[in-house]
Amino acid sequence: MEGASTPVPLHSQKKTMTAYELRRRVKSEYMRLRQLKRFRRADEVKSMFNTNRQKIMERTDILNQEWKTRRIQPIISVLTLPVVCVQCTVDSGFSEFSKQVIPLKTLNAVASVPVMYSWSPLQQNFMVEDETVLHNIPYMGDEILDQDGTFIEELIKNYDGKVHGDRECGFINDEIFVELVSALTQYSDNEDDDEEEEQDFKVDKMELCDGKEHPEDPRKDPLISRTNNDSTKKFPSDKIFEAISSMFPDKGSTEELKEKYKELTEQQLPGALPPECTPNIDGPNARSVQREQSLHSFHTLFCRRCFKYDCFLHPFHATPNTYKRKNMENLVDSKPCGIDCYMYLVQVSSHVTQPSFSFIQFHFLNFHSFVLVFIMFAEGNSRCQTPVKMKLTCDPEAVDWSGAEASLFRVLIGTYYDNYCAIARLIGTKTCRQVYEFRVKESSIIARAPAEDEDTPPRKKKRKHRLWATHCRKIQLKKDGSSNHVYNYQPCDHPRQPCDSSCPCVTAQNFCEKFCQCSSECQNRFPGCRCKAQCNTKQCPCYLAVRECDPDLCLTCGAAEHWDSKNVSCKNCSIQRGAKKHLLLAPSDVAGWGIFIKEPVQKNEFISEYCGEIISQDEADRRGKVYDKYMCSFLFNLNNDFVVDATRKGNKIRFANHSVNPNCYAKVMMVNGDHRIGIFAKRAIQTGEELFFDYRSVTRERLHNTRFILFIHIKHIMHDTGRLQSHILIG
Amino acid sequence: MSGASCKANGAVYPASSVMMNSVKKPKMEQIQADHELFLQAFEKPTQIYRFLRTRNLIAPIFLHRTLTFMSHRNTRTNAKRKTFKVDDMLQRVEKMKGDQESQSLSSHLQLTFTGFFHKDEKPSQNSENEQNSVSLEVLLVKVCHKKRKDVSCPIKQVPTGKKQVPLNPDSNQTKPGSYPSLLVSSNEFEPSNSHMVKSYSLLFRVSRTGRRDTNGLVNGEANENIDVTETPSRKKRSSSHREDGETTETYVAQMTVFDKNRRLQLLDGEYEVSMQGMEDNPVSKKRATWETILDGKRLPPFETFSQGPTLQFTLRWTGDASDKSTAPVAKPLATRNSDSSSPMETRTSTLRAAPVVKDSVSTDVQMRREQVLCEPRQKLRIFYQFLYNNNTRQQTEARDDLHCPWCTLNCRKLYSLLKHLKLSHSRFIFNYVPHPKGARIDVSINECYDGSYVGNPQDIHSQPGFAFSRNGPVKRTAVTHILVCRPKRTKPSLSEFLESEDGELEQQRTYVSGHNRLYFHSDSCMPLRPQEMDIDSEDERDPEWLREKTATQLEEFTDVNEGEKEVMKLWNLHVMKHGFIADNQMNQASMLFVENCGAYIARRNLCRNFLLHLVSMHDFNLVSVATIDRAMVRLRQIQEELPAAEEEQQDQTLTMGGACNGTAVTSSGGKQGKRTKSGVTD
Repeated sequence: MEGASTPVPLHSQKKTMTAYELRRRVKSEYMRLRQLKRFRRADEVKSMFNTNRQKIMERTDILNQEWKTRRIQPIISVLTLPVVCVQCTVDSGFSEFSKQVIPLKTLNAVASVPVMYSWSPLQQNFMVEDETVLHNIPYMGDEILDQDGTFIEELIKNYDGKVHGDRECGFINDEIFVELVSALTQYSDNEDDDEEEEQDFKVDKMELCDGKEHPEDPRKDPLISRTNNDSTKKFPSDKIFEAISSMFPDKGSTEELKEKYKELTEQQLPGALPPECTPNIDGPNARSVQREQSLHSFHTLFCRRCFKYDCFLHPFHATPNTYKRKNMENLVDSKPCGIDCYMYLVQVSSHVTQPSFSFIQFHFLNFHSFVLVFIMFAEGNSRCQTPVKMKLTCDPEAVDWSGAEASLFRVLIGTYYDNYCAIARLIGTKTCRQVYEFRVKESSIIARAPAEDEDTPPRKKKRKHRLWATHCRKIQLKKDGSSNHVYNYQPCDHPRQPCDSSCPCVTAQNFCEKFCQCSSECQNRFPGCRCKAQCNTKQCPCYLAVRECDPDLCLTCGAAEHWDSKNVSCKNCSIQRGAKKHLLLAPSDVAGWGIFIKEPVQKNEFISEYCGEIISQDEADRRGKVYDKYMCSFLFNLNNDFVVDATRKGNKIRFANHSVNPNCYAKVMMVNGDHRIGIFAKRAIQTGEELFFDYRSVTRERLHNTRFILFIHIKHIMHDTGRLQSHILIG
Repeated sequence: MSGASCKANGAVYPASSVMMNSVKKPKMEQIQADHELFLQAFEKPTQIYRFLRTRNLIAPIFLHRTLTFMSHRNTRTNAKRKTFKVDDMLQRVEKMKGDQESQSLSSHLQLTFTGFFHKDEKPSQNSENEQNSVSLEVLLVKVCHKKRKDVSCPIKQVPTGKKQVPLNPDSNQTKPGSYPSLLVSSNEFEPSNSHMVKSYSLLFRVSRTGRRDTNGLVNGEANENIDVTETPSRKKRSSSHREDGETTETYVAQMTVFDKNRRLQLLDGEYEVSMQGMEDNPVSKKRATWETILDGKRLPPFETFSQGPTLQFTLRWTGDASDKSTAPVAKPLATRNSDSSSPMETRTSTLRAAPVVKDSVSTDVQMRREQVLCEPRQKLRIFYQFLYNNNTRQQTEARDDLHCPWCTLNCRKLYSLLKHLKLSHSRFIFNYVPHPKGARIDVSINECYDGSYVGNPQDIHSQPGFAFSRNGPVKRTAVTHILVCRPKRTKPSLSEFLESEDGELEQQRTYVSGHNRLYFHSDSCMPLRPQEMDIDSEDERDPEWLREKTATQLEEFTDVNEGEKEVMKLWNLHVMKHGFIADNQMNQASMLFVENCGAYIARRNLCRNFLLHLVSMHDFNLVSVATIDRAMVRLRQIQEELPAAEEEQQDQTLTMGGACNGTAVTSSGGKQGKRTKSGVTD
């Protein structure tokens, strides 16, 4: 009730309101808001802590319940001495508490386990962005700090002196700024009320959200009610901005602040969404929008490589409008869908301007009343942009089309083209006749069926085998060249240009993958194998190229079958299928924790993937400094660009110890466009054996601090490094 | 001489280093440091084996005699098995009972004297034919505790009897039954007297009339087992004998029955006691040494038995003489002594310092029972050569001693000793090298010793409640023990202990393989119970945190609407759960998605968003038009099947339970968006 408790300035005082006073008020308001924010933050932390505790309690309850049902009977060890009945008394000094007597029970000594720092389980790599601030100052015992005080300093220097939690003084962020202005506005509003100059309050709307979030904050409540009553809004007076500007000169001039405020408050209007945001198509205020807009979120967030939205691994998602359809599907039902089908009611005639659309022509030849004119625009990337003019010959029914329906129609017309029956079925609420009529109305922009790919001339079938043979030779060549630089794969995207020396894949000495935008006939594509065996010899081109078999390319070896069973004839697709062995954790016979195998494995059999966070080489350098000090590193070089760090996230294989005579080896493989580290058996391993691999043997060429560098590299062209950093959030 | 070889011999032949005076000092230090390291290296395993030896004596895990290579330690034979009848058992028990009853009343120490032997007097014996027996007097000497006033310990002598014992009898001729025997009641050993008796010993006194042999055996303290028993009183008495022309020779010997710790020293068996002449003792006790001298020549310690006057007798405790009051025998720990069949003749002189002879008779008289040596003596010498850094550091010689130096187990055969060392003390490597005088055993540290536990995991980590439960059977970790293993046995041959030339280490596979340890959950570090072994609990493709992460990450977008977010989250969880990897799985995946989440989609009114998702997938070339059609038809079906009334309620429960939604929080607008999808694309 801060706002209410402040004394209302009198009429006479208004004139005397000097700039100095205002400044002072800015300062006090600012301090008040800061403090409020701090309190709020503390409350948040408290409630967060409580919910966490609640979770722990629940879990403990579950465990306790479980133990209760088990009803434990202790094992009486043979060697233990006969139990001596000893009484234990707990005597409190107070008379009101009685003495508690209980027979002494001895608990079994439980052997302590080695130290383990917490980590999160993963079965697939997880890309994280570079950390720009040092999250914590590592503690490694007092003696280290005493000995080597410079280490921490150097560490902080690596992060340009930024340590998490440092707060600049006089800091003012957008949120505080808006709140500050609103708080100050109230004062001036009060003055205005007195003068009767203004009828309305000027209140920014952002408080709405805040109010909802913290209903316990009483200050907000009257504000909201007032906001709702407001019909017009007035911008806060310039004086306020002047005062703020003088208070925080680094934040810009009065005009800049004003602009900023306008911008910030505009955005916060209730129900208003950013321009890119399409209203929910299933919601009440769905609007009629274009196809791209409807699909924008799905297109931009979908990762074609992981099949997920906003995936954890790939910062760059190619949008589909550049993809070419591989095979033409029969788009139009040849038969009418029912008695009321539009096909009976309309006559369509089409004049096809381009011979490549002959199949459309074929279907529409009978419908003469319908004039189909294709006007070819200069084609961009999008296939939806080609407008078609249509004319309707019969009278349209008057039907209401909701925004959602209209949007949906536009989406579907891009996929189904002139198959109105299908579109109507999918929309559900409209008949195909209505759809058709709407289509005629909407004739301005209509998709046409995509043409055959003009970029690459179609290749004859018989060349295929020869091509494959040359590929195999090429693989051999690459192998022999044994370039020790392996770069990350990034799908190439250069429309209407073949994959030649300018293609990033070619320069990086990578094959084009199915994710590339180039044609499937591209010369640089890996052809896959045609093995009928297990793909575990160098006979298999995939195995030779240190790739796993691609389920979309290698169709004969079994990599594309038996999705549910573990028995796949192809032995070269274990990483992607996650066909890892059951591993068990126990204190090692060597040091710390160790990992043990449950079932025996054959030589060269896949054991597990070494998973972790994917970090850049620079980040690995920074992290490595700390890990080296701890003498414990889970860093594993993936390629020239990235390193796998299993410290924070990983899987059980991270506990495998180093040995000079190991029973496992690591191999970096290209798995469907990603480099992944597989751990394989170096010899036959028996049940219950501990797993080791040679940390050093992983690298020969370059040894980088304590990091272990692997043998595959590619030149990687990051299209936009900034995006990478802004996109990925640290888990 | 090279530095290396000098170092090598440094310990054994320290003189070799004298050669290099100039470099002597640093060399010596180096040698000393090396020696220190050598001792350290050998100390630890030695300590371990010492501990294990003691533990095995207290609580044996196995009996050595059951081992094939130790079978000669097994005294039991199976000869009786052939004639065994079950009925005999009852008889035997009844007989035993009767025996016990009769003997319990009259328990006693029975001494049966075989004869008195005095070999070197053969000629005199011939001349005086008439005498073929000597008179033997047995006295029980009780050494009492010293009282304050006493100067020395009071001694009480109780005569137990006199017997005529045949002199140099021919063991073949005399019948066993005709030997004179003597009984000492066990009551004598009861602490009934006013004096507290410290120790009991038997004093044998043999009187023999005949020509005095001046150059008789001077048997000063012949061996450690028999001590001089000369008391002032006896001196007096022996002098009185001397007056007549016909000399009466008196020989004495004393044996401890119970020592001062009330330990029974004399067990059943045959004894041969070396006797001593009483009259003159030219060797002063002060200069007493352990050598035996005959005619000015030194005799080996046990030559006295073939030469000197000895008394042979059989000792037997009958009845309950060895009852609790008198015979608290601490048997197990004293392997060397109580080993009933161990020939005690050899003492490793290199290992043991000669005990100092005590002046006073009353001090504890060490007696050791000796057995008649039946086997011909094989004087085997064993040289233990301790190697460190491939150099000899110490050589220890054991003469005729086939005891294991680490656990004092008498192996009795060289083969058994070597086998025992190899199998039981595998922290060392033992290599056998034949030696003209016996054997040399090279001992070095086994660097490849595998100390990992190969037993049952339940034995070490007895996690409470993991093995037993009142609620019924509980699964236990399967451990494979080989119960019967019959490897091809090669004939015992010493050649198997020779150092193998090729240097390949024996790749012995452990007989017990498998999960011989306690496993832990990798997330909580809690012990893994046996019933949890089969499921890999921590290998989910979609751990909870990752599900939550993908939901919150999508939630952070400001420019993606709620409907889109919802469908995306559902789809992501679906893909994460099933782990799709191929493009050609997508048609299937979409249909599965409808099946699994269709109801939720319909209830949450997300059908159009779902359609958008499918169209988008189609734009990416991942699903066919036919799949879109089929998926939507199925969704409509599911929608119609949904009971309309329940819709609202179920909707709420679903959101709360988050059945399909994982733990995603669906609150929108709460977070001020951190990200925009446009930020992702450009």
